[in-house]
Parts: sequence; C-alpha cells; structure tokens
Amino acid sequence: MDATNQFVSDPAVVIDNVSMTYKVATNESNPSGDPAWSKLIKRLTPGQRMATVHALKPMSMVASHGETIGVIGRNGSGKSTLMRLIGGNERPTTGSVLATNTPVALGVSAALMPDLPGEENIHLGCLAMGLTPTQVVAKYDQIVELSGLGSAIHLPMKSYSSGMSSRLRFAIATAIDPEILILDEALNTGDAEFSQRTKARMTELRKQAGCVFLVSHAMESIRDLCNRVIWLDKGDFLHDGEPEAVIKLYERFIEQLRRGDLAGADKTKRAARREMQAVEIQESERGRRSIR
Amino acid sequence: MNSRGHTLPEPDVVETRVSLRTLSEVGGRPTFIDYLVRLWDYRHFVFFDARARVMHSHVQDRLGSLWLILNPLLSGATYYFVFGVMLGTGKGIENFVAYLLIGVYLFNFSTRTINAASRSISGNLRILRAFPFPRAVLPLASNLREAMSMVPGMLVVLLLIVAFPPAEVISEKWLLLVPILVLQTTFHLGVSLILARIVSFARDVTHLVAFAMRVWLYISAVFFSPDRFADHPIIKTILEINPMFRVLDMARDCLIYNRLPATQSWLILALWSLVTLIMGLVFFWRGEESYGRD
Repeated sequence: MDATNQFVSDPAVVIDNVSMTYKVATNESNPSGDPAWSKLIKRLTPGQRMATVHALKPMSMVASHGETIGVIGRNGSGKSTLMRLIGGNERPTTGSVLATNTPVALGVSAALMPDLPGEENIHLGCLAMGLTPTQVVAKYDQIVELSGLGSAIHLPMKSYSSGMSSRLRFAIATAIDPEILILDEALNTGDAEFSQRTKARMTELRKQAGCVFLVSHAMESIRDLCNRVIWLDKGDFLHDGEPEAVIKLYERFIEQLRRGDLAGADKTKRAARREMQAVEIQESERGRRSIR
Repeated sequence: MNSRGHTLPEPDVVETRVSLRTLSEVGGRPTFIDYLVRLWDYRHFVFFDARARVMHSHVQDRLGSLWLILNPLLSGATYYFVFGVMLGTGKGIENFVAYLLIGVYLFNFSTRTINAASRSISGNLRILRAFPFPRAVLPLASNLREAMSMVPGMLVVLLLIVAFPPAEVISEKWLLLVPILVLQTTFHLGVSLILARIVSFARDVTHLVAFAMRVWLYISAVFFSPDRFADHPIIKTILEINPMFRVLDMARDCLIYNRLPATQSWLILALWSLVTLIMGLVFFWRGEESYGRD
C-alpha cells in the first residue's frame, strides 16, 4: 500500500463520503429565548421541535472480497447506522454506498412468523430473500443442520428459546451464500457448540470470496473472526486497520473511560484518528446506477 | 465527553482509485420494468406469506377459521334487520335477501381490503427497515390475503342464495362471478397501492379512508335499488360510473337475475381496474426509496 495513492481492483463494498443525519423530536427548549407569541404557536401545533443528530459523519472506505471486517465502538457510535446504510435499509444523507451485490443482513428474520413452525419459517425466510421454492428445497437440509434444532424444527417458533431462534435466524440468513454479509450483534447468543459451527460457516462464506461485516462488543469474536477492524465513536470514523492494533487502542480507550480519565481517553481517540489512513474514493470507471 | 469538543484531527488521506464497473448503488430505485420483474420474482413469497397469515389469523380464537364464515353471516343478518325490516329499503327488490347478501359481502370485501392494504406500508416499518425487497410486495400480499380469506364466506353466501326462498337456480352464468371478482381485486390493488404510499407519509389519511369507504358504501346501491334514483340525474350518473356499483350489479345479474351483465358494465369495470392498477404501480414505484424511512 502506497502512502498517498492506491488502487483497489476487486472491491466488494465502496462507501463513498457517506454520512447520516436524523431529524428527531426533542423537548429541549431553545435557550436563546423565543418571543412569547412564537412559544404559543409552538405549543398549539402538534409537531415537536426537531433536533439534528449526526449519527454518522462523512466517511469513506473500501471493503474487498475475502475481508471480514469487525466494527467496534461504544453504544451510539454509529455502528448500526453504518450497517443499515450498507444493507440498503436506509439511504445516506450524503454520499453513496456501492456494492457488487445486495448485502444481506440477518434482518430477514423480521419476516418470520412466531406462530409458524421452524420448517415453514425456513421457507418463508428464504422466499423473502428472493429464493425460488426449488432453491429452498435444495437448501432446506443444510439450514436445519446448521440451526441444530433437530426435531424442534416442527414446533412453532414462539416456543423456541432465544438461543434456538437466533440459531435458526442465522441459518436462514446465511442460507443464500450471500456475497456480502452483515452480522450485527448476531453471534452473542448460542452455546459453545453452535459458535463452532458459526465459525465454520463464516470461514466458508469468507472462502467463497465473500465479504463480511461483523458488529460486536465481544472482542473475542472480533479477534477470532476478523482480519480487519474499524472503530467508530459518536459518528466519527476513528481507526481502520489490523485487528490487534485497533482492538488495543479501543481497549485502552475504554479502560481510560472506566477510570474516569477523560483527558487520556480523548488523547487516545485523537491519536487513533491521527494515525488512521482515510481514503478518498476516485472512480476509475462509472458503475451502473442501481442493483437489479 | 466533548469537553475539549473541538474537532478531531484530520487523518492522512489516501487517494483510492476503485473500479466501479462491477458495483451498483445499494438501495437505489430500479427502473420501472426492472421493478416489475423483481416483483414477479417475489411472487412465491407473496403467496406463502398471504397463505400463512390467512391460516393463522384466527388461531387465537376459539372457533378458529370458522370466523371466516361467521363474519359475513352475522353482518348480513345485521344489515337485513336494519334495512330490510326496520327501514324497508328492500321494497320492490326481487329476492331482497340475496340482493343484500351479495351487496354486503362484496362491498365488505372491498372495505376490508382497502383498509388493510392502505396500512401495509405504515404498519410494517419493522420489516421495511430489516431487509431490502421490492416494497410493493406488502400491499400485494395484503390484497392476496384478503382475497383468499373472502373465498369461504363467498361460498356460504352462494349456498344461502340457493337455500333461502325464493331459491335461485345455479346456472352457468355463476361462473362469471370469477372474472368479476378478478376485476374487483385488480381495482383494489390499484387503489391500495396509491393509498399505501399516501398513508406512508401521512398516516392520518387512514381515518379519511375509513370514512370514504362508508360514503362509498352508501352510493353503491348495497341495500337499496338503483331505481330509487331514476329521476335524480346526478346520483344516477354517479352510480353508473361507480366501479363498485358495477361489481355488485354484475354479480347480481349473474347470481340472482340469471342474465348476462351488459357489455357496458364489463367495459367500465375493466377500464377502472386497469387504469387504477397502472396508476397505482407507477405511483407506488416512484416512492420506492422512501418507504420505512423518516
């Protein structure tokens, strides 16, 4: 990698100057002191005053095939926002997300119905991801096996423990061999045996030249599974690099916060940001406009 | 934490050239034709989802799916009591029971479908935010669900028409009910695609929809005879171009009066259905990127 200039030949996901701001309702009063009549109007109209939240400040990055990228940061750092943007569930306020294929998140579980048995939910979930019935039949056994549910697959999903249903969701969502997979806090449930199988399946996906985004607070799974880590904090893109290096910085930061050493934490944060190499996307060829 | 809130240092910037040839924008709106193709690809999901929801819609009720049959029976009986017995709007209508049953049941089908499908976007934000799919799948599934769950009750209505005096004979014209219902469903689909988009950004419209459906009920000759307005040119014209009146009138022609619906009726209904469906699809597609976002 050259210091000021590089070329990525096989990108999976390109995040080009993406930012996200939300308008949210707030009841915080304006300290500048509005005139009385304006306060009255505000009280009479049902619309609340809106505040702008910068969930994600402008950032760029390129993810290549074969990378498993860990996304770390405290709560409210913008991790989930970034994942929703990559998954296409939301459009960025500025910039654009480009991908070779529609990224898949485990979110497909929202289409599942608790009243239905696991087996019917497998059909429902796979069809919701756009598989044909024939493809579902071909995948069925593999999904049941990965879920490890055995004969419980015939019971309604609402009777499952949270571990069981998250195993099933994982098995369904990864059934389509996604080229780009987004895992947002998905691996925290499940016993040791299942994490073995998850890991095996993830390795498989990675070998299929897939690209995986893994959001987790568990540094163990990040260390185990990822070969690149990005760190977000309060919407800022703080660091991007080798797992060990980034995790070390992050853990130092968290430790300083725990001790109440705000100045130290801030310094760590600034150092991380300064040492990062940010990318600026240059298009070498134009892409198609939208995914079919 | 942002005590020293001044901006973070700017990192070194690496200019990264990327070949974007194989890439495309995530979550962008496809062209209209691409959109229709994608919708077609999702037909299995629409069907499976609708079927599962119909079969499980009454699992919490003791009488279960029996409600699919009991509901139309009870509402038919209510309307008969109010309009046949108390208000006597049925005078001069041959076989008022059958007339009313058909009117109430078919109009109810429209009311339920349009009410449910117009909320299919605003009521499914969780699914919309969870994963990408052509959003028109939701109003489609909702229409299909209502169409599926109306079938058992429709059969009961037909049975009653045969069983209650004056009993109607089953003729081959009864088969025409199928294309009539198909046109009615097509019309619903168009209307609900338009409403689903409007409701997705202006939720309050659902109240207006419920109200509009009630007004529509009263101008569709559900429980009175259209002859009542023979010397009322404006109301008569409204009735004549009203697609819902056409649906009821044509169904009654086939089921009660044993005559073929007029060609004019077929044309008016078909025109309404197709034009509404096309408008609905285009209108809904143009909002594709906005659903499920604030």
